[in-house]
Amino acid sequence: MAGPGSSPCASCKLLRRRCAKDCIFAPYFPPDDPHKFAIVHKVFGASNVSKMLQELPVHQRADAVNSLVFEANARVRDPVYGCVGAISYLQNQVSQLQMQLAVAQAEILCIQMQNEPTLQSHHQVLELDQDHKALLLQNNNNNNNNNNNINNCSNNNNNNNNNNLGYAMSSGQFNSNFASPSSIMQMQMQMQMQDPLKQESLWT
Amino acid sequence: MNPKRCAACKYLRRRCPKDCIFAPYFPPNDPAKFACIHRIYGAGNVSKMLQQLPDQTRAEAVESLCFEAKCRVDDPVYGCVGIIHLLQTQIQNAQNELAKTQAEVAVAQTKLSQTQNSDF
Repeated sequence: MAGPGSSPCASCKLLRRRCAKDCIFAPYFPPDDPHKFAIVHKVFGASNVSKMLQELPVHQRADAVNSLVFEANARVRDPVYGCVGAISYLQNQVSQLQMQLAVAQAEILCIQMQNEPTLQSHHQVLELDQDHKALLLQNNNNNNNNNNNINNCSNNNNNNNNNNLGYAMSSGQFNSNFASPSSIMQMQMQMQMQDPLKQESLWT
Repeated sequence: MNPKRCAACKYLRRRCPKDCIFAPYFPPNDPAKFACIHRIYGAGNVSKMLQQLPDQTRAEAVESLCFEAKCRVDDPVYGCVGIIHLLQTQIQNAQNELAKTQAEVAVAQTKLSQTQNSDF
């Protein structure tokens, strides 16, 4: 047992074994939260989790356990896609936001281009005679062409984003250099998946 | 006995029956796929998960399990949760950038209408 008077950890309770003093699970699976280990055991298996934790330095094990619990929960909620469903949803959000950003930036360019020729043409009307008014018509035509080019550029951005999504999902190529554990510990995630999912904290 | 064992049965060094649950998803020409998934989940757990799913969803489930297993191998601490965090950060940054740009649009539109009014 873990010690005189102390109850076995949640994992040893579930596995119905003695909880040794150096039980690898004990620091991360307290006896008051049996569900946490149950779900990790269901998806990954106790021995796999034990092996994974043994391969990690002690200061990283808490974060590893929390991420395993998160993944296990996601897999139980969505047995087909698990966390991948959430990743797909978030990637869609990123694409949509990038699209909206491109549109907004194009809008600014359009407005700026309308502004500058207007200022220039204002002076030209005052100073030039009728023969030079043809120049104003030419400037307006150039503005329309530039607007079309910007729209095409934003469409190309969308296509690139969609291609990247497909590539990433099929090949599993993701960069995994991420933020510090403390920032992840404070993160809250809202997920709306096909089955409605309540807001949950990442580490609870 | 299936003359060509699937990657799972090859890895587990056992016969590959005709109704092997792994065979459709782990062809023998890609042994790394099953090795990765077995390392993280274990063959027994994967088999149980697949048995609980209808046939038409199993292929997708295997692909997502493989992806998550690969993420976990690449990042043993955070796995694919690290990717989720990265995406959330990207979303936050994009939202901030969008809000800023939309404010600039509003300012630019105001300036334009002021300029146009002063013309008249």
